[in-house]
Amino acid sequence: MTNIFSYSLIIIGIIFWFWGTFPLVGNRSVLFKLHSLSVADTLGSMSIVMGLLLQIPREWSLLLLALITLAIWNTVLGYVLAYCSSSGETTQND
Amino acid sequence: MDFILIAMILALLIPIYEAWQDNDIWQKMLAFASIATKTSIMMLVVSVLRDDWPIGVVAVIILSVGNAGLMLLAHLIRRMNEI
Amino acid sequence: MFWPTVLVVEKQHKMIDIYTYVIIALLPLAALILVFQVNPYHALVIRAILGAVASLVYAVLGAADVALTEALVGTMLAITLYVVAVRSSLVMRLGILEEVATEKEQYFTELIANLRQVVNEHHLRLELVSYPNSEALDNALKNKEIHATCTKISPQDSESEHQFIYQTAIRVHHLFEIMQNELTLPTTTLNYINLSHQEDKH
Repeated sequence: MTNIFSYSLIIIGIIFWFWGTFPLVGNRSVLFKLHSLSVADTLGSMSIVMGLLLQIPREWSLLLLALITLAIWNTVLGYVLAYCSSSGETTQND
Repeated sequence: MDFILIAMILALLIPIYEAWQDNDIWQKMLAFASIATKTSIMMLVVSVLRDDWPIGVVAVIILSVGNAGLMLLAHLIRRMNEI
Repeated sequence: MFWPTVLVVEKQHKMIDIYTYVIIALLPLAALILVFQVNPYHALVIRAILGAVASLVYAVLGAADVALTEALVGTMLAITLYVVAVRSSLVMRLGILEEVATEKEQYFTELIANLRQVVNEHHLRLELVSYPNSEALDNALKNKEIHATCTKISPQDSESEHQFIYQTAIRVHHLFEIMQNELTLPTTTLNYINLSHQEDKH
């Protein structure tokens, strides 16, 4: 039962990964791609880590650290990338 | 469990292709951010698959430090565009 | 990369899984993409991607310490230092007078835009350095603080009907050749200043 649940979490995570990564190919703006990437990729990764946590509850400390790292760092990274790319573009247009 | 890793490798190939074909440096940085997260999650999956504690520790360290390095690189490239 | 490690390929003495081969195949793929890059900054970003893929390969092969070293040194430290080094070395420093810099004349902005375009095609940056008077400008060119100077020609010198308004003096010969071939603006003259007899070449 737990096994099926964890596998389905991992598969949902991989579907989220594909969903977030496919907009990367194409001619959309950086901010549009960053949005889909930061939302869907982070959620997918967290879902995969949750699935792994159900597989091996013994390593909960490590996987919890991975979850917290993903949630905090990827959000901050999204902000930093958006700030850097947009300010770089405006100075180029001047 | 193997097919999960194969699907992850397929997901990893998309940002690698994007980094190859796009000529804008911010698009390449975006692809790099995606690849950095995906590789460390794949390391975590491998460590759980083999029940290997050290690889798991290394994966979590790479996950956090790789993101920090990415922010550093983004700021440096922004400075390059300014002048 | 630097620490001696025994690569434990498989702990269980089974057949090596198929995904191991696929992940290892990603490494030459990333390396090929890296080799075909032209722009140095793009190449550095691809090198960071190669570092991430390489640390994944090392982790899959069971070498956790090598993977950690690759991620810390190969991806973070080396890339950061190389971006700083490339940024400070691939630059053309153009010396101008302060009065010209504040003038904002249409010819001048056009000239700077053209110079910047030519220089950007060779992956260089153009950096403007302003000096208070022409002696300081000449001294800076002699002391190799700047690579080129751009000054206005005084009106009594240009009695001919050519519309040269600026003169650009370049002390780096290769840069002079590039400018001679690719700068297509009629408002400036190009001179090559040979300073190599005073000191040995850099």
